[in-house]
Amino acid sequence: MAVSDTLQAVFESGEVSLPADGIPTVRVPLAELLEAVEQVRGALGHSRFVDLTAVDRLTSEDRFELVYLFYSLEAHTWLRLKARTDHAAPSITPLVPGANWYEREVFDLFGLDFQGHPNLKRLMLPDDWQGHPLRRTEPLGSEPVDFTVTRKMYGTD
Amino acid sequence: MALTDQSTAAKPELLTINMGPQHPSTHGVLRLELVLDGEIVVHCRPVIGYLHTGIEKTFESKTYVQGVVLTDRTDYLNSLGNNLAYALSIEALMGCEIPARATVLRVLLAEFTRLASHLMFIGAMALDLGASSPFLYCWREREKILDFFERMSGARMMTSFIRPGGLVRDLDASILADMSAFIDAMPAYVDSYEDLLTGNPIFRERTEGVGVLTGDDALALGVSGPILRASRVAFDVRKANPYCGYETYDFEIPTGTVGDCYDRYLVRVAEMRETVRICRQALDKLPDGPVQTADRKVMPPPREELARSMEAVIHHFKLWTEGIRPPVGEAYVGVESPRGELGFYVVSDGSGRPIRVHERAPSFANLQALPRIIEGGAMADVVACMATMDPIMGEVDR
Amino acid sequence: MTSGSADSKSGAPGFVLSRLEDWARESSIWPVTFGLACCAIEMMAAGASRFDMARFGSELFRASPRQADLMIVAGRVSQKMAPVLREVYDQMAEPKWVIAMGDCASCSGVFNNYALIQGVDKIVPVDVYVPGCPPTPDALLDSLIKLKQRIALDSRNARHGARTGAGLGIVHTEPSGPNAH
Repeated sequence: MAVSDTLQAVFESGEVSLPADGIPTVRVPLAELLEAVEQVRGALGHSRFVDLTAVDRLTSEDRFELVYLFYSLEAHTWLRLKARTDHAAPSITPLVPGANWYEREVFDLFGLDFQGHPNLKRLMLPDDWQGHPLRRTEPLGSEPVDFTVTRKMYGTD
Repeated sequence: MALTDQSTAAKPELLTINMGPQHPSTHGVLRLELVLDGEIVVHCRPVIGYLHTGIEKTFESKTYVQGVVLTDRTDYLNSLGNNLAYALSIEALMGCEIPARATVLRVLLAEFTRLASHLMFIGAMALDLGASSPFLYCWREREKILDFFERMSGARMMTSFIRPGGLVRDLDASILADMSAFIDAMPAYVDSYEDLLTGNPIFRERTEGVGVLTGDDALALGVSGPILRASRVAFDVRKANPYCGYETYDFEIPTGTVGDCYDRYLVRVAEMRETVRICRQALDKLPDGPVQTADRKVMPPPREELARSMEAVIHHFKLWTEGIRPPVGEAYVGVESPRGELGFYVVSDGSGRPIRVHERAPSFANLQALPRIIEGGAMADVVACMATMDPIMGEVDR
Repeated sequence: MTSGSADSKSGAPGFVLSRLEDWARESSIWPVTFGLACCAIEMMAAGASRFDMARFGSELFRASPRQADLMIVAGRVSQKMAPVLREVYDQMAEPKWVIAMGDCASCSGVFNNYALIQGVDKIVPVDVYVPGCPPTPDALLDSLIKLKQRIALDSRNARHGARTGAGLGIVHTEPSGPNAH
C-alpha cells in the first residue's frame, strides 16, 4: 500500500504494519522515539495528539509496548506509533503538552519512567499506593464474593 | 508550581484553597487546588483519581461481551455511545458485517444519548450558575428519553444495548413511533431552554468572555468535541471519519466564534438541533431486517435454530463457554461522543479475553485544558468554566 | 431540643416531645451532596420534577455536611475517595444516617477489584442498602421512605445501632481498612 511505503521510507529502522482497524502503525526503536514523534507531527502532518497508552506484552525483554496515536486534521487519518521498553522512555510532553496526564497515567498504572516529564507523579491512585496494577503480573485484587455457599466452602461461616 | 509576576513583594499574600472532591459544582469528584491572589486565580491544579475504578484492568478478566457492561459505566451519560465505540472496535478486529437496520438504529440510539447528555449539560450548567428552573425543564425531556431506553432494554441508563455484532434486540414499532413524536416535539423544547438562558443578561454576563480557549491551545492540549468546536476548529469525527453510515446523513457542525464559556454552551445547544435532524433522518430511512449479524462467531444463533442445526448448537456452546474470540491484533475506532473523540483500543491475543482495553476518554484530555481557562480569571468564574468543560469523572478516572 | 438519652423523657409530656422529635427528624431529612458516579445521575433524577424527593421532606441537598443529616453514597468509592468519604461523614452532626445507593456502594457491584472499597459499609455504618445499577429513582425513594419509617419509630435509637447497639437490628460497624481514621 502507498501509505505503508511512504512510512517505511520515512522510518527506515521501523516496522510498518496495518492492523485490522486500518490505522497505519509504525514501530520504532526507543532511541528514535522523539525524532519519530517530531516527524509524525511535522513532515507527515499528523499534528493532533490523540492517545498514549501502554500494553504489557509479558515478554522477557522490552516488555511494555508504548502506543502513541496521532491524527491529521487535513488528511483525516490516524497514525499509530509504537515503541518497546523495559522501564523508561523519553517524555514527549515538552513537544506535546496534551501528553502530560497520559504519561502520568502510564507511570501510575504501569510504572514506566518518562524522562523529561515536568511532574511525573501518580495520577489516579493515592500518592502512597504501592505497585502498578495494570501490569499483567499484578493481580486484579478481587475479594471472594460472600455467599452462604462460599461461607461453607471457605469456612468463613 | 509556577507563580506569575503577581506574586512579587508587592502582593505576597496568596491563598491556597481546595475545591472538592465533594462539592456541588464539580460535576463529579474533581478536586481543584486553587491559588488565589484576592479574587484572581493564579494557579489551578486539578487532582483526579477519586473515581478510579480499575475498569481497564477489569476488562482483562472478562470476556468481550461481558466487557460491554463496563463500557456503560465509564462515561455514564453516554452509555450507548460507549457501547457503540467498543462494539465498533471489536467488529473491526473481527471483520464482521452489521446489517443495515442495526446500523441505522445504532445511529438513532447514539444520537438520542447525545441529546440526553446535552440536556443534562444545560441543566447542570444552569444549576451551577444558580438557575434552577432549566434543570427541571431539561430533565423532563431527559426522563422521556430514559423512558424509551427502559422500554427497549429494561434499564434507564446502563442499557448495554449495543453489542459487538449488532443490538441486543429489535425496537418495536410502538417505541419507534413514540420516538418519532418526541423528535418532532423536541425543537420547541430546545427553543424554550434558549428562551430561558441564551438571551438572559445574567447568564451572558457570567459566561461571555469567560474562560477563553484558543484553537491552537485546544489542539496542543488534545481537546476535542464541543470545546474544540467552540474554539473555532471544525473537527467532528462523524464528518471527518464517518462510521455507521454518518456520511449519508445531512447535518451541520456548529462552531463558535470566541471560544468562551458562552460559545461552548451555544455549540452544544446547536448540536442538539443537529442531533434532532439526524434522528429524524434515521427514523425516516430505517430499513427492515435483522439487527444482529449472521456471523455465528460473533452473535449467537436464534433459539429456534438450535432445534434444527447441530452447527448452531456448537456455535451457541462455544459462545457461551468461551465467548467471542477475535483474531490476534488490535483495533481502535474513533467515534464522536458528546464530549469529544472517544475510542476503545482493544488488543487481542486470540483468546476469549482481551489482553488490553484502553479507553481514549475525551474528558481526560479536555480536563487538561481546565487550568488554562481558569488561570487568570476570577474565582467566581471557576464554576462556569468547569460546567462548560462538561467533564465526566467516570471516564476521566476509569 | 434537649440532649441526653431517651430515658430522660418520662411521662406523657416526655412521650409527646419524643414523638415530636421523631416526626420532625423524619419529615425533613436533608441529604448532603455526595454524588460520585452514575448513581448520582439517578439521585438527581430523584430530585428532579418527575420523582421529586422534596415531597418526602428532602427539600434540598446541602453542600455542607454540617447542615445535612443524611448521606446518600451515590456511586463507587475508590481508594482515594475513601478518606474523603469518612471525613465528610464525620463532619455531619448527629443524628445522621447513611443510604448506600447502588451496587457499588453496597458491595462494589461490577467492580470487584483493587481500585474500589468493596462496599461502603467498610468505612461508614450504613442504614439502608439500595440495590440496582443504578437503582431507579423509584428505588431510591423507596429506600428513603423505609429510612423515614425507621426514624419515625424511634429516631434516637434508629441510627445505625447507636451507641447501645439497640434499635432495629442494625449493627454498628467499626470503620476498617487502611484508610479508616
